[in-house]
Amino acid sequence: MSSGTSTAGRRVKQGLISLGWALAGVVIAILLWEGVKLLGTVITLPFETSDQAMPHVWTIAQGALQPEVRGSDTPVWLTVLIAALYTLLIAFGGFIIGVSVGLLLAIIMQRFAFMERGLLPFVIASQTVPLIALAPLIVGIGNRISFGPFQWGQTQSIMFIAAYLAFFPLSVGALRGLNASTPTQLELMRSYAASPRSTLWKLRFPASVPYLVPALKVSAAAAVVGTVVAQISTGGRGGIGRLIIEYARETTAQPAKVYIAVIGAILVGLIAAGLVALLDLYLTRNLPKEKLT
Amino acid sequence: MSEFAVHAEGVWKIFNEGAANEVTALSDVSLDVRKGEFVSLIGPSGCGKSTLLRVIADLTSASRGTVEVAGMTPQKAREDHQYGIAFQQAALLDWRTVRRNVELPLELAGWDKAKRRARALELLDMVQLHDFAESRPWELSGGMQQRVAIARSLATDPEILLMDEPFGALDEMTRERMQNELLRIAGATNTSVIFVTHSIPEAVYLSNRVVVMSPRPGRITHVVDVPLGDRNEDTRESDAFFEAVTAVREALRGRAKPVGEGGARLAETS
Repeated sequence: MSSGTSTAGRRVKQGLISLGWALAGVVIAILLWEGVKLLGTVITLPFETSDQAMPHVWTIAQGALQPEVRGSDTPVWLTVLIAALYTLLIAFGGFIIGVSVGLLLAIIMQRFAFMERGLLPFVIASQTVPLIALAPLIVGIGNRISFGPFQWGQTQSIMFIAAYLAFFPLSVGALRGLNASTPTQLELMRSYAASPRSTLWKLRFPASVPYLVPALKVSAAAAVVGTVVAQISTGGRGGIGRLIIEYARETTAQPAKVYIAVIGAILVGLIAAGLVALLDLYLTRNLPKEKLT
Repeated sequence: MSEFAVHAEGVWKIFNEGAANEVTALSDVSLDVRKGEFVSLIGPSGCGKSTLLRVIADLTSASRGTVEVAGMTPQKAREDHQYGIAFQQAALLDWRTVRRNVELPLELAGWDKAKRRARALELLDMVQLHDFAESRPWELSGGMQQRVAIARSLATDPEILLMDEPFGALDEMTRERMQNELLRIAGATNTSVIFVTHSIPEAVYLSNRVVVMSPRPGRITHVVDVPLGDRNEDTRESDAFFEAVTAVREALRGRAKPVGEGGARLAETS
């Protein structure tokens, strides 16, 4: 018989262990990078390992401290960090919109069987459209949208693309989750003369949490990838995607720079994953551990 | 009509009626359960005992015939929270505490928070789980979970308790203890109980009458009166108990004469 507090304590301890592993992962990544470079000097590898293509870890670290342009006060790391946070913000917006739309679609599809038959094929088809084809289309349509003072801009297009990728895993996961209540639980609700809305709030929705948790993780990753790729393909200013392109052009002069932007993109992904992990911890606080994936 | 907790007359339940895969689950079933009476439904798989319970609970509707529950239609009785129900699976909600699981039917019946809480604690007292009110269901043993489910089924103080093999998944010792608790609770609250079971001794120990059903098509073949009086631990070892068990067993085997033909220890259907 474990009390609630000791369960929470165990969760915290597990969190710390995970953090330790994550740090170990970073160390292993650095060792692998340098190891491959070292190996490249001994034998011929099928890819370039010169300092031009794969700068040393310390060169990258040094590059991060350099000023953004000659004579500027802003170091590269700060520019990357600001761009990363801006990308994270847009990805967060896309995630919220995507999750809301995905959840709404799942609720509609669960409630009305004909909606599931009608909508689900379109939901799946939506993800077969290549993002690169979609991005200019959305920008093109978006440019013509304005309500009063609101003018659809590049930021809205990028957020839309992030939401477009994020809604899918969530709606599919949530639909499964909303249907995961046992027949006995549903009959109990019927015996209590519960309305469809009460059944949704008191049974179906909480019972879907074990399915929502992995879906939220996938959606968050999709929102981040969607934002970065959309920033690259629309050339959206201020984000990490644009920075990756810009720094890639400077490779001959400063080969380390593009990697700093890539690390910035990784940082966005890690922060997003961390935030979702906190959300999961909150959602699953009352559930038995063995039910969680 | 209202002298009966449940009154069923000429009830048929036919699944996929008219289609090639038509199944007659209930065929011309009539049953009256008096107020405060404990009636068990027993029979092999597919005899329609669970279907009959589900028709009474308005979880499915009868194809033909009339059913009255607490003097009203099954639908009205369900919407009025006239019955409580418990299944083989406790089906507790993992994310709620034990107390809030018991409160669930009260929430849906529109009780206010303080009254709900007081009622849930009172019921948990009755099933001797007061100390576990703030535990999560998954921290409890199977028997304890089933006691929570019984407390929940009694939450709205229903006139009628419908139970579909509620002790089916429990070990023998727990099962006997639960049977005693159920009899105590049903007696104290003067609740009518319809109890579906596979176990002959369980049906005999609990019931005033045991309704024996037979499959293909599902129908009532015998109704065995069990005049054992007040139950206690000696009852299970008494001669009268074994006689009643034998009577039910023979009825199940089809050796005793069916209803209406004057079987030896078998009473007429009411």
